[in-house]
Amino acid sequence: MTSRHTDTARALEAGATVPSAADPAEPTDVRERFTPKTVLRALRRHPLGLVGGLLLILVVAFCFLGPLLYRTNQTDVDLVNAALPPSTEHPLGTDLNGFDVLGRLMAGGRVSLQIGLLAAVFATTIGTVYGAVAGLAGGIVDGFLMRVVDTLLSVPFLFFVLILSVRFHANAVSLSLVIGGFSWLVSARLVRGEVLTLRVREFVLAARVMGASRPRLILTHLIPNALSVIIVVITFQVADAILVVAALGFLGFGLTYPTADWGSQLANGATFISADYWWLVYPVGICVIVTVLGLNLLADAFRDALGHRAG
Amino acid sequence: MSWYVVRRLAISFLVLLGISALVFFLLHVVSDDPGRVVLGQRASPQAVADFNREHGFDRPLVVQYLGYLDQLAHGDLGRSYKLNENVGTVLRQNAGRSAMLSLAGLILALLIAVPLGILQAVRRNSLVDRAATAASYVLYATPSFLLGLILIAVFSQSLPFFPAEASQSHSAWVVLTDPRAMALPVITLAVTSVAIFSQYQRSSALDQLGQDYIRVARAKGLPERSVLTRHLLRNACLPLITLVGTLIPSLLAGNLIVESLFNYPGLGLLFLNSLQHEDYPVLLAYTLIGGALTVAGNFVADIAVAAADSRIELNK
Amino acid sequence: MESHIVRASDGFENAREPVDGSRVLTIRDLSVEIRRGDRIVHPVSGVGLALDRGETLGIVGETGSGKSMTGLAVMGMLPDGGRVTGGSIDFGGTELVGLPPDRYRALRGNDIAMVFQDSMTALNPTRRVGEQVAEPVRLHQGASKRAARARAAELLDLVGIPKPLERLDDHPHQLSGGMRQRVMIAMALACEPRVVIADEPTTALDVSIQAEILDLLDDLRSRLGMSMILITHDMGVIARHADRVGVMYAGRVAETGPTPALFSHTRHRYTHALLSSIPSLTQDRREQLFSIPGTPPDLSASPAGCPFAPRCAAATDRCHEERPPLSVEEDGHTHTCWHPVATAAGRTCSGASAVARPAVSPETPAVRGTTPRLRVVDLRLEYPVGGRGLLGRRRTVKAVSGVSFDVAPGETFGLVGESGCGKSSLGRMLVALNRPTSGEVVFDGASVTGMSARELAPRRSQLQMMFQDSNSSLDPRMRVGAILREPLAIQGIGTRSARTARARELLGDVGLPSGVLERYPHELSGGQRQRVGLARALALDPKVLVADEPVSALDVSIRSQILNLMLRVQRERELSSVVISHDLAVVRYLADRVGVMYLGRLMETGTTEEVYGSTAHPYTAGLLAAVPEADPAAPRPRSGTRVRGELPSPIDPPSGCRFRTRCPLATEVCAATEPALVTLTGTHKAACHHPLRLPAAQPEELSAR
Repeated sequence: MTSRHTDTARALEAGATVPSAADPAEPTDVRERFTPKTVLRALRRHPLGLVGGLLLILVVAFCFLGPLLYRTNQTDVDLVNAALPPSTEHPLGTDLNGFDVLGRLMAGGRVSLQIGLLAAVFATTIGTVYGAVAGLAGGIVDGFLMRVVDTLLSVPFLFFVLILSVRFHANAVSLSLVIGGFSWLVSARLVRGEVLTLRVREFVLAARVMGASRPRLILTHLIPNALSVIIVVITFQVADAILVVAALGFLGFGLTYPTADWGSQLANGATFISADYWWLVYPVGICVIVTVLGLNLLADAFRDALGHRAG
Repeated sequence: MSWYVVRRLAISFLVLLGISALVFFLLHVVSDDPGRVVLGQRASPQAVADFNREHGFDRPLVVQYLGYLDQLAHGDLGRSYKLNENVGTVLRQNAGRSAMLSLAGLILALLIAVPLGILQAVRRNSLVDRAATAASYVLYATPSFLLGLILIAVFSQSLPFFPAEASQSHSAWVVLTDPRAMALPVITLAVTSVAIFSQYQRSSALDQLGQDYIRVARAKGLPERSVLTRHLLRNACLPLITLVGTLIPSLLAGNLIVESLFNYPGLGLLFLNSLQHEDYPVLLAYTLIGGALTVAGNFVADIAVAAADSRIELNK
Repeated sequence: MESHIVRASDGFENAREPVDGSRVLTIRDLSVEIRRGDRIVHPVSGVGLALDRGETLGIVGETGSGKSMTGLAVMGMLPDGGRVTGGSIDFGGTELVGLPPDRYRALRGNDIAMVFQDSMTALNPTRRVGEQVAEPVRLHQGASKRAARARAAELLDLVGIPKPLERLDDHPHQLSGGMRQRVMIAMALACEPRVVIADEPTTALDVSIQAEILDLLDDLRSRLGMSMILITHDMGVIARHADRVGVMYAGRVAETGPTPALFSHTRHRYTHALLSSIPSLTQDRREQLFSIPGTPPDLSASPAGCPFAPRCAAATDRCHEERPPLSVEEDGHTHTCWHPVATAAGRTCSGASAVARPAVSPETPAVRGTTPRLRVVDLRLEYPVGGRGLLGRRRTVKAVSGVSFDVAPGETFGLVGESGCGKSSLGRMLVALNRPTSGEVVFDGASVTGMSARELAPRRSQLQMMFQDSNSSLDPRMRVGAILREPLAIQGIGTRSARTARARELLGDVGLPSGVLERYPHELSGGQRQRVGLARALALDPKVLVADEPVSALDVSIRSQILNLMLRVQRERELSSVVISHDLAVVRYLADRVGVMYLGRLMETGTTEEVYGSTAHPYTAGLLAAVPEADPAAPRPRSGTRVRGELPSPIDPPSGCRFRTRCPLATEVCAATEPALVTLTGTHKAACHHPLRLPAAQPEELSAR
């Protein structure tokens, strides 16, 4: 994950000792809360994030509400009408099995989004718990846990997934679990870092001075403050998971027929890109790009707005 | 400095050990009955058991792992089931070509991304910056195989500049000797990296531009160009070195896809072929090597950063 | 005193006749705006100042007063989005506003140079010191690499860096803070500029180092015949080092004049209020500090009248409606105030809100003789640093090395010392945030140190802490109400509504309206946040309050508000408090008794009067001598008493007396044996072989050299 587009505001703060108006001591690194209000404000300040959010709403509506308006037969193969170019009957043509491409896109999108979300939630859950444990324990435990993460991060994980998928056939759930099982590492690192910095923050010390118990510290101070990092991470990971599924599909190890996600549709169509079957490639390609783009824009806007440098 | 190197070496060694254990474990999960795989479905159970005993596959896991380590220590990566050849030899035949492809892609990406990222930071929020940022977002969101396919469609079919298939030459120097045949694979590899690197470089340069020492350099009366080359460049590139080190697994994965896309006979293609044949020793050996490359990359990156930035040593 | 009025646009620079062409720099009616997003602020509005050859012009002001931006405007280095919107900067006949970039560059670093505040970030971390110092020489004088290097060595020598040739190849992180600041100065002086702008050159440094650096700047300025603009928030630095002063407020110059006149005949209400609110080392401690109400104004709005009017006790309708004109007096003393302070009356007794301290003056021994509420017995804290090499032994930092003191009920104990002396570590051990390596903290007869977390929990309420950085000490996700209820909730006191009532009451105690309950910390100003921090510490009605640098993050005008509040609270609640600060005047103002720490050890302890009045330890004397008083008439201490050199590493402290490496009185015995804390008189103790004050009953041979 990269740190795209992050630090404009920070650099401005640092470079310009502009006296802030209302309060001269206005902190530059206030970490804001993650409430509907701040999210809206973040999006207003980051028009790109707003664009990302709108793109996502569009994609979700297309995949989940679209089928209600545009009904197609996605169960019966119809080889007579296979690979038809776009027409009034099939606005985006039909694919090699005779399925309507537009309807296929909606169905595939549902699968892709579900895999992405499931993998991200799975990864972030593991990563958060793992990172929090490491950060809170500190010392030798932390050292050991983080060496484990280093080790796993050094393994080319696409290779692992490919090897596993030879032996075990992938379905949407197992694929999510496998992707999630390998992508929790980044969130573990981030959450640990967050916990380490939070742990020595004075408001946590203050709570300790009041006699707060460990669970209380974690529940009322650490988790709520780390939450924004976690949300940013989840958003990025949904995007990454969708890309990984697409890559697996292209290499021939994605979901198998009849389940169709965007990755495998793209992979199937890709072979025909040179044969002028453009409607098999570009619509689904655009869907993937738009979704991943939307997620990344949104995540970046969150990160900027919350003053975090996750990733 | 030397202590730092020793420490990093020790850590790298531990991580390598961890990877080998992981790979070994994976081998066991996917292929718990090697005799059956090698001898085929029709072999008698007795023959399979004999084979397993003969090759030590019936020993306790830990013992097998130690044996595996011993093999690795002697540079023996095992024997391919299908090609009936030493895995090391098989890999070596393809390694050069993959390395050239990867390096060419990486170098091209850095040559574009570093100046671009710094330009974006210096001209923050200008048209150039916005355009490059937008392009980065879109390119990053594009699956690399789709990107490659589009490049093929445009530059090889609509405008026949470059061949759609990479050079099949067995020389590793093909990248230099036959640039036209390698143009599309290298560009495909580089473009995705540029999208990541340039944005990273941009934010790192922005960070540095906000530092006081940049103001001091300007206060000395240095022309802006000298401020950038003499003061900004080195500091702004340090994080990128680390990033490249940690991104090696993704770069290898990119190789896999590009080699498959352009049918370029490197390690990636070998890996994919072995996948189809369930040739586990080859698969795992390459995975192990990928891990080792990552560890080595991280090590080199850390040392390079430490060499460029003498603060590191004290902080350790 | 007669004063005539001129139009403000004529500017301050005209107030004084240039003496036979010695004027180096003239700023006339300078205005700067900065556009950030859709907001425009005006950090500098119509500033006029002048600088003569060989003189130091001090520009003083709080955060956001526009003092730094004025300096940057002169350098032509406004931040992105910033531009000069009006006025002129005349540099020896050259108009700097609108000067082409090429010509500006030729001036920068050559004729005008700048010294920045934080030398850690102001030096390029990856380039050698020598190269960085040589850079301007090569650039402006076209010197060869070798000549420039030789010049760099010469410059390092000039700024007092020992063994300059060896330092040339060091990287910045290998030097101490004071040395880095010297390198910064060497860099600025490389081309012998006519004007040096020093922007808070010593703010990041300890007081003993600060004094050395400022003296160095003074010395170099007169030796090289330069002029200097010294930008600072510290009135003391101004009083000691500036020839003339410009006081800035909200982007405007409030008052200018020769330093002695400005301090003795302060005219502008803001300057007057500001000077009255600074705790000093000499003022009468029974008198309460003046404090300026409110907070500095919003710079994006341009008020019609005097910008200080909303906070001014003397403000009338006219002040709010009409901008005061520039009044010029003899000596070039100018001010913009409708109601200037009339006479040279003493500042401290002038403020309307200056209330006398409560009758229980700190030195009243009412609290003596009772059993101490808090006892600190031989407390030590050591912790390992860095990774152990594969074979290397682990190094330990000796943060606190055997400190003992008592705090009686109702008493305030001040801990003072420079950064790295262990005072903060000590403070954290007092409230059981850190466990000491050895020794104990005894509270009301029970040792807190040995207690398990469970035993400790109920006692926590008695031992509370107030933190330095109110920005980080309040959870950004909680409303103030939740923050104040939290301690009660943790200790299980009261129902929710009772807690809310208590929170409201606490806010009242610290002078905040109850509406603040619904606000988030980032919606409050720094001073308000610090008040909330104090309220939270008081929520559990503690008997002991440890305050770690309670006001260091605040601006001067806010600082006195908090100091007075703390003083009131301490008296009202019979609190035993420990105030930890690097600021000698703050400790003097708040504390009844004082302990001076150096490298983890207590050097001197006694009542505030004893320690400040009849100082016994050379370290304390050195610190006191280094603090610049906000009074140019104050006698400059003999330089012999100054603390010299650098702080030794707490990993490997000097043998014998830890202070001996920097002590002007050190002898062989100091290196051989560590002096014990010896009682001089009653409560006054010092750990020194050669105390400045002789023990009353002790024979004299102890101090014989």
